[in-house]
Amino acid sequence: MTLNQIVKGQVARITQINGEDAISIRLMEMGLIDGEQIQLLGKAPLGDPLEFAVRGYRLSLRLNEAKCVEVEIV
Amino acid sequence: MINTPAVPQTAVQQKKMTIAIIGNPNTGKSTLFNQLSGGHAHIGNFPGVTVEKKVGSVTWEGRPIDLVDLPGTYSLAPRSIDEMLAVDILLGRQKSVPRPDAIICIADASNLERNFYLFSQILDLSIPVVLVLNMCDLARSRGVIIDSQALSQKLNVPVICTEAHHGKGLKELKTAILKIEAGAAHLPLALFPNAFYSERDLLREKLQTPQEQAAPDFLVDRLLLDVGGYVESYFEHHAKNGLMDHLHEARSRLKAAGFAVPAMEARLRYGWSRELLRDVVQHPSDHRVTSSDKIDRWLTHRVFGFLFFFLLMFFVFQSVFTWAGPAMELIEAGQGLVDAAVESVISPGPLRSLLVDGVSAGVGGVLIFLPQIVILYFFIAVLEDSGYMARAAFIMDRLMRSLGLSGKSFIPLMSSFACAVPGIMATRVIENRHERLTTILVAPLMSCSARWPVYTLFIAAFIPNIAYLSIASSPVVTLQGMVLFAMSSIGALIAIPVAWFLKRVCFKGDVAPFVMELPGYKWPSPRNVIFRVYNRAKSFVVKAGTLIFMTSILIWAAGYFPGDHSEQFQIQNRIEANDASLESLNAQMAAADEDAPAALKELQNQQETLAAEQAVLNEKQNLVSSQLVENSFLGMAGHWIEPVVKPLGWDWKIGVGVIASFPAREVIISTLGTIYSLGGDISEDDEGLIGSVRAATWPDGRKVFNIPVAISIMVFFALCAQCAATLMVIRRETNSWFWPVVSFTYMTTLAYVGAFVSYQVGMLFI
Repeated sequence: MTLNQIVKGQVARITQINGEDAISIRLMEMGLIDGEQIQLLGKAPLGDPLEFAVRGYRLSLRLNEAKCVEVEIV
Repeated sequence: MINTPAVPQTAVQQKKMTIAIIGNPNTGKSTLFNQLSGGHAHIGNFPGVTVEKKVGSVTWEGRPIDLVDLPGTYSLAPRSIDEMLAVDILLGRQKSVPRPDAIICIADASNLERNFYLFSQILDLSIPVVLVLNMCDLARSRGVIIDSQALSQKLNVPVICTEAHHGKGLKELKTAILKIEAGAAHLPLALFPNAFYSERDLLREKLQTPQEQAAPDFLVDRLLLDVGGYVESYFEHHAKNGLMDHLHEARSRLKAAGFAVPAMEARLRYGWSRELLRDVVQHPSDHRVTSSDKIDRWLTHRVFGFLFFFLLMFFVFQSVFTWAGPAMELIEAGQGLVDAAVESVISPGPLRSLLVDGVSAGVGGVLIFLPQIVILYFFIAVLEDSGYMARAAFIMDRLMRSLGLSGKSFIPLMSSFACAVPGIMATRVIENRHERLTTILVAPLMSCSARWPVYTLFIAAFIPNIAYLSIASSPVVTLQGMVLFAMSSIGALIAIPVAWFLKRVCFKGDVAPFVMELPGYKWPSPRNVIFRVYNRAKSFVVKAGTLIFMTSILIWAAGYFPGDHSEQFQIQNRIEANDASLESLNAQMAAADEDAPAALKELQNQQETLAAEQAVLNEKQNLVSSQLVENSFLGMAGHWIEPVVKPLGWDWKIGVGVIASFPAREVIISTLGTIYSLGGDISEDDEGLIGSVRAATWPDGRKVFNIPVAISIMVFFALCAQCAATLMVIRRETNSWFWPVVSFTYMTTLAYVGAFVSYQVGMLFI
């Protein structure tokens, strides 16, 4: 599954970042790397973007960016 | 303070050091820079990029130091020409700044793991580094405990804990910097496998030509690592044949060896960062809900989040709109006092006209923007410092994306409804260059407050006052109100296709990731807020102000020359002499003896004669002024463009008004006042002006103005770029004349087409 599919409060483990484009590079620079845990904290009022907790800080991603991140539920 | 007293003459003059300050966004980097430079930074521009150049010159213990503030960034992998700037400066490839002797890398103490990604890249530059862990107090309160001594030993780099907004830790930082010797080198971190470094050496050989210096290691690393990055695209255009093929082969070889780029870099650097920090930093448990998270659940809530956001925006907007009013009136009153003082000292003549209508009007035209800039920047600084700014972008992102923009464009565009000048200055929060340019280009379309006088005049004069819906006999929906609303929204509506066109056609292929950090909430630091507001205001007055001022002088000269003003000055002299006589008469009458009615009567007669003469003189004065404008360069230009503006239903007088209002839209009111022989001191709701406009005719006796003409003028002013301040701020913010020219051209074209269509279509119904 991908990161946009997890529900609020759920913790997932990143298995892979898809693609080699600007978005995936930026995601990796921000610390989204396979093996890392990530939690969905909430959504913006219109359901997009999403707020995550990763590596001890809070990160906002759009749905289509979250789609680039393959995860498994912990 | 940081600045030490002046160096005694006997002290040996030491070599100047250049120190670059770099760090992630939201680490308090600007605060640290302001504290270290004592707030006296020289602000300028780097050629070819939109990044502001901030250099603070200080002397610490007799040692001259230039502090260079680099833009906040998460990584040194440049994706655009703006991001390349930091790399160029650090490698000593930027001509206007010497290669830094040392780097201050500032990191958020609460979040070292991610901040160390950039830090590890900086360690690869072989330049001495001082690591600053900022906001240590905040980190401690969040349960993050750092053993900075152990960290310093592990890294072999000085580590200083600071609380920059309180000025804590700065002394230690200063001492650490002064210990660094100029020209000292630092061993690169070199985390990558040997396979990578041999590929790098091969690639460098391919790059090098006999005449050139070898490319720095760091740059070759970037070429190899950054798939689709700026360095790659640079070499794609500049390098000789075969280099790109070699690059792709090198990457394939690395992938085959199990070191695929770009994933390899992130994995290795984050691996290093976690391993290094393992015994040095104690964290609270991983999934602890912080108080900042609790606030976020409310402030990004489906209902309350929106409600709070819109109330806050309404408040900010109202404040910019209304609080600025009294301050602006004060500036105008001050300008009036200065004018009166000049007029009392200098008799009518070219010098007085230059001083009053050129210089004073020009200075006033710059200062008038300050209240709005200061108020808006105050709010922006508070919102940024508290951490809410990122939430505002978070909340608005979905809506703004339908315009092809992101949440970060919302506040600049909203502010532009009050005034585009602070709005455009507020686009600094947008990191993506193309998104920022798109926002800058559409911001002047928002209906700013300077358009209101134009709407007020023409609506009052030509739009019938019909009420469609009344509640308790007070009109709620009126035709005039509807026209005003339509005029105020037309720009924003047109901005949607314009933004779409810019994003899809002009800036095609640039995907702006919205990967944004949501920093923890904190109380804004007053010192920080004041610094920022002051810097913005200063930068506006110094950089954009001069150009706005010169435009004002230019337009004054065009309206003044080449006419012979001697008759105007004579009349002016007589009016002023009469004014003085009238005043003394009034005084005499007030002092006159009640018991001497004959004397009083005599005085009254004198006063009446004088007043009558004065009225005739004033009328003559207005007529002469109007003729002078008609025969000036400005008037000639108005006549000259008449064939161009005729399809819009305009005569040359409106043409003059439009040209004269280039410095600012509202100037059209006073210009029309002068042309219609009513004098320049006139307001948009003046009955005389409304009457003159209604009565104006073409030479063949037809009325100039009717409803389609009025609509055509209003549509023109809704869409045009008749605002020198906006254009100069665009120049300042983009550091190029290209973008203001683009703005002016596209907006004037839109305005012309809009005015043409509304006039021609309107005439079909008449």
